[in-house]
Amino acid sequence: MSVFENDQITIASLPQAEELKLHPISPKYFYIVLINIIISYVFLLAIVLTLRSFADDETLANVFVYSALVLGISCIINIYLSYLGFKKRKYAIRDKDMTYSQGYLVNKTLTLPYNRIQHIEIARSFLARKMGLSTLKIYSAGQSGGDLAIKGLPKDIADKQYAFLTKIINERV
Amino acid sequence: MSAFNFETPSRQSAKGIIVIFGVSAYKILKGLAIAFIALFLKYIKSDKSPDLTSPIFILSCIGLVVLFLLIAVLRFLNFKFFIKDNYFFLRKGIFNKEEISISKDKIQNVYIKQNVIQQLINVVSLSIETAGDDKTEIEITALSRDKALALKEYLLSGLKLIDNKDVQIAEETVYFKASVKKLLLEGITENHFKSFVLIFAFIVGIYNDIKEFISELNLSSKFGKWFQLDNESIIGLLLINVTLIVTLLILSFLLSLIRMLIQNFDLTVKIKPNGLEISKGLLNKINLSLTNSRIQNTIASTNRVKRALGLYKLSFTQAMINKKQQLKFNIVGLSKLQLDELIQQFYPNVQNRLTKHKPQKYLLYRMLWIGFMVIAIINLGLYFSPKLFLLANIPFIAFVIANAMITYKKAYFHIDEELIVVGYGMLIETHTSYLEIKKTQAVTLNQTIFQKRRGIASVVVNSASKSITIPHVDLQTANEIKNYLIYKVEYENKDWM
Repeated sequence: MSVFENDQITIASLPQAEELKLHPISPKYFYIVLINIIISYVFLLAIVLTLRSFADDETLANVFVYSALVLGISCIINIYLSYLGFKKRKYAIRDKDMTYSQGYLVNKTLTLPYNRIQHIEIARSFLARKMGLSTLKIYSAGQSGGDLAIKGLPKDIADKQYAFLTKIINERV
Repeated sequence: MSAFNFETPSRQSAKGIIVIFGVSAYKILKGLAIAFIALFLKYIKSDKSPDLTSPIFILSCIGLVVLFLLIAVLRFLNFKFFIKDNYFFLRKGIFNKEEISISKDKIQNVYIKQNVIQQLINVVSLSIETAGDDKTEIEITALSRDKALALKEYLLSGLKLIDNKDVQIAEETVYFKASVKKLLLEGITENHFKSFVLIFAFIVGIYNDIKEFISELNLSSKFGKWFQLDNESIIGLLLINVTLIVTLLILSFLLSLIRMLIQNFDLTVKIKPNGLEISKGLLNKINLSLTNSRIQNTIASTNRVKRALGLYKLSFTQAMINKKQQLKFNIVGLSKLQLDELIQQFYPNVQNRLTKHKPQKYLLYRMLWIGFMVIAIINLGLYFSPKLFLLANIPFIAFVIANAMITYKKAYFHIDEELIVVGYGMLIETHTSYLEIKKTQAVTLNQTIFQKRRGIASVVVNSASKSITIPHVDLQTANEIKNYLIYKVEYENKDWM
């Protein structure tokens, strides 16, 4: 490729992010994804069915039945897509940067160099605590994207990464 | 300028009471505007005029004014600022006392602004922005212009106040001043379609609220007489819609013209050793400093008409600045020569070394696909209307094809050791975006499932303000670009700010 014809270093000799061995996140996290989807759809379904019980007109009642059906179908599609997307959630850690890849319909692979990290954070929701999982969040100064959140890491790995990154940040200054 | 001593705590100018009073009264009135309108409408409906002379009404009005005045005076008395050991201190608050201190080297920017009240009584406000937290707002609402300028110089310089002032004055020169004629031209040649859509959306949004009001006023019967709506003739309906759209177009035209004039009145650009200074505004006069090191990306824009008239706009985005402020960092009415010179100042020698790489043809096909999908959906609607309406497809199709081809033609990217340049634009507008590689925060490779089938990806370079996208390049190139950028950031380890 002639994109960098003016360069002294050869592009092929650069470290290649695409040949990284990416680690999958904990498979247990899929239960959390599943539970979240089901809760939100059950909530929507409850609203639709409550509205239907108030409808005195027959056609109106039918409209609500159909919309409940549509909700059910989109719930199944949503779960299927989340399953496909879940398999794409992977991360890798190198000496000088961190990579996180996610998304089935739109796959995004973000690489964040350590020297651009502003701060890091570990978050654990109620369900994640029950399953022994953590979310590792890494913030850069990026205003439109550029932050990285690895959800569903086993707690011990997340804590190790956190300690590792904290050390790097502290040594940087 | 040694007349001002910032070491001892000082209050703002006594005129500040008026400003505080005015601003808080304005805020309250604005907040209650909907309530007032609702009351007003209620009175119209009930055919009773409000009794403005009743003692309760007058007394409560006077009470409110006195209360506001009292609060304004107390706020004024409790507002003190001073500088000590390179820290700026601010004490304020009537009941809840607050003391803010900022280290001088944490100060990102100092703005000088003037709203209508401040212009009338000849004071300016000075606000300080710090890194990181865009919620901390430090604003001194009333200072004499000289004092504000001196304070600004003092805060922004690492040096002592007295030596610094003269040096700065000597080196800054007025580079550009936009005449009213230029601003008028800029306003006329704006992309009015945008403001038209805005107004249209606004009217659709409040349609239900005003529908009732309009029916009260019996407007529909008047319009009905004009256009014979009772006959339900298509011509009448068409006429109403056409008048509506023409009115909206004229309105949006005037709106963008007025906005352009008010926002950019007396636009002056000064070149300083470490950046630019922009001052502009009619009702709200603002004075912005642009420091080279804080600029994230720079966008040069024009459209077809503007280019013919030689009008270009340059917008800057800076790190750590709230969205509202961000919009003001632009210079309109530049000539091609001036634009090139300004870009040259920030990105030396960029014009000569530009090698334009095209994105993949996929960009073109994608736009055609989306366009024809939209046309197909419109045709579903047209299917049920008179066959004559199918002719509407001709301009639609022409638009989609022309738009896709021109978008592809305008798209290019350039990367070298220091700089990423991306050109983009649709049928009417053209933009060129510049970003220095060292300002990169993170790099993302985006690939949709459609792109994956063709082995194409887009590279998004995230900076501390806007991100810049290199669209639709083949996967290998995308990976190479990403690896290159990451390598540059990690091994050169240059400061991004």
